[in-house]
Amino acid sequence: MSEPVTILGLESSCDDTAAAIVRHCDGAAPEILSSVVLGQTDLHEAFGGVVPEIAARAHTEKLDLCVEQALADANVTLDQLDAIAVTAGPGLIGGVLAGVMLAKGLAAGTGLPLIGVNHLAGHALTPRLTDGASFPYLMLLVSGGHSQFLIAHGIDDFTRLGGTIDDAPGEAFDKTAKLLALPQPGGPSVEAEAKSGDPTRFSLPRPLLDRPGCDMSFSGLKTALLRERDRLVEAHGGLRVQDRADLCAGFQAAVTDVLAEKSRRALSEYIASNPFDPVFAVAGGVSANMQIRAALETVSKEFGARFLAPPLALCTDNAAMIAWAGIERLRAGLTDDMTLAARPRWPLDQQSPAMLGSGKKGAKA
Amino acid sequence: MPSDPTILAFDTSAAHCAAALLSGGRIVAATAEEMGRGQAERLMPMIEEMLAGAGFAWRDLDAVAVGIGPGNFTGIRISVAAARGLALGLGVPAIGVSTLEAQAEGMARPCLSLADARRGMTYALVLGEDGPPVMTDAPDALRPEMPRAPMADPATLAPAMARIAAARLALGAPLPRPAPLYFRSADAAPPKDPAPVILP
Ligand SMILES: Nc1ncnc2c1ncn2[C@@H]1O[C@H](COP(=O)(O)OP(=O)(O)OP(=O)(O)O)[C@@H](O)[C@H]1O
Repeated sequence: MSEPVTILGLESSCDDTAAAIVRHCDGAAPEILSSVVLGQTDLHEAFGGVVPEIAARAHTEKLDLCVEQALADANVTLDQLDAIAVTAGPGLIGGVLAGVMLAKGLAAGTGLPLIGVNHLAGHALTPRLTDGASFPYLMLLVSGGHSQFLIAHGIDDFTRLGGTIDDAPGEAFDKTAKLLALPQPGGPSVEAEAKSGDPTRFSLPRPLLDRPGCDMSFSGLKTALLRERDRLVEAHGGLRVQDRADLCAGFQAAVTDVLAEKSRRALSEYIASNPFDPVFAVAGGVSANMQIRAALETVSKEFGARFLAPPLALCTDNAAMIAWAGIERLRAGLTDDMTLAARPRWPLDQQSPAMLGSGKKGAKA
Repeated sequence: MPSDPTILAFDTSAAHCAAALLSGGRIVAATAEEMGRGQAERLMPMIEEMLAGAGFAWRDLDAVAVGIGPGNFTGIRISVAAARGLALGLGVPAIGVSTLEAQAEGMARPCLSLADARRGMTYALVLGEDGPPVMTDAPDALRPEMPRAPMADPATLAPAMARIAAARLALGAPLPRPAPLYFRSADAAPPKDPAPVILP
């Protein structure tokens, strides 16, 4: 058994400023000593989406406060830390830069090692933080900025089986909410509205469902929804509450169908490799959606894989996952020096061809 | 705080990386590199080289001074974030100094300090009076009687910032955390397509 490792993690790649402290003794379950997330939803609200310059400004002036809060919450001082881990990409570059530079300052001032973490690796390694998942496991990352299937073989070794070629599902939920005059973030409000809706009334497309492979597309779905909305507004002089609920239910059903079917394909590819302890894990804000979660769990069962959905606070952007990825990297002897760069794009899988499209919001890879 | 504090100053508010070290009441090291991009990668190694060359280490610092602009937003944030991290890591104060103050350092007061604000505008600050800096399209009409500070030179900027920080420390006034001087709000427009009217 090795010494306990305590790491500070920093995250600032989108619209959440976060700091967390995680401690791990080899052989025991990791402990999240603190996890502070300062959201910026209010700052971006008037603009109907994340404004990169506004996000960068907020991160620059909030990160150190966030670190102080995380230290206080954990009752840990800087000299009790073993390293500083920070998201070095992918994401909105202004925010990533602020995080990387703050971390460099902290590392210089304390003499601690600096560890640059891929934000997506943070999400993808979370099942090891929460459930001790062992490699290789299948991962579906569905958030406001990402949608991809990955097989995690090791802390630095991922195979991307497929991903969205345009919008991410969370982005589609957010745009749907905007089109239907529902509050942001769109995911929870569309889900709530869908409860009283009829998912069969509008037949919305399931893009790419008829194509082989695990690639996904969600922008056509949004366009179809817009067309239906305009038709209803034209006919009635506005959007009736029941029509809106039916549109939400139809939209959610379409996203669910696409994610479930693509998960089926990803699982069959993964299971074919004969993993020792088959696990299908999800991460990202969209995995908070109960209907989607239930559908994915059902598919997972079909293949005899254990379904892991970390608690919501660890599914959405947070710094505990960055601290944890930092612990994994430190244990593997992977640290960075003061030339560490902030990267707007940084695919986890360096081999598979890059994805075609990129959405408007947040990190792409 | 010792009477002659050791202060590191750095600035990346324009196309350069600049740093200086004040110790024992004089500038003991200074460096400036012209740089269009890559400041985030170069800044800390450059400072480390400068400190080591003068026989200093990070832990010898009593305070950190940093350029808060006006200038390139991303460049300013690179230094401000590093300074705030460094201050937290060392447990020392960080002090924000504007380019407008730095380029007028050592001049008799009152004097006028100007900087290019692009898009036909100029930043202006009168030193020796209490008013805030402003952005103007007619700098020539502004206080023509006053002597003007020379435009910032990366080589002298950081030493001036270190001395200004030392003076502020000596005053014992409260030291707010450094924050970028933006002048302009973020370019962002509200969404174009209005939400539909909702009917019962
Ligand atoms: N119940 C829900 N149903 C569907 N989508 C949801 C739900 N709750 C949240 N979301 C969506 O999740 C997204 C936010 O998730 P998350 O914080 O993981 O993503 P992000 O901020 O875009 O970060 P990343 O950079 O990891 O992509 C939003 O688009 C939001 O609408």
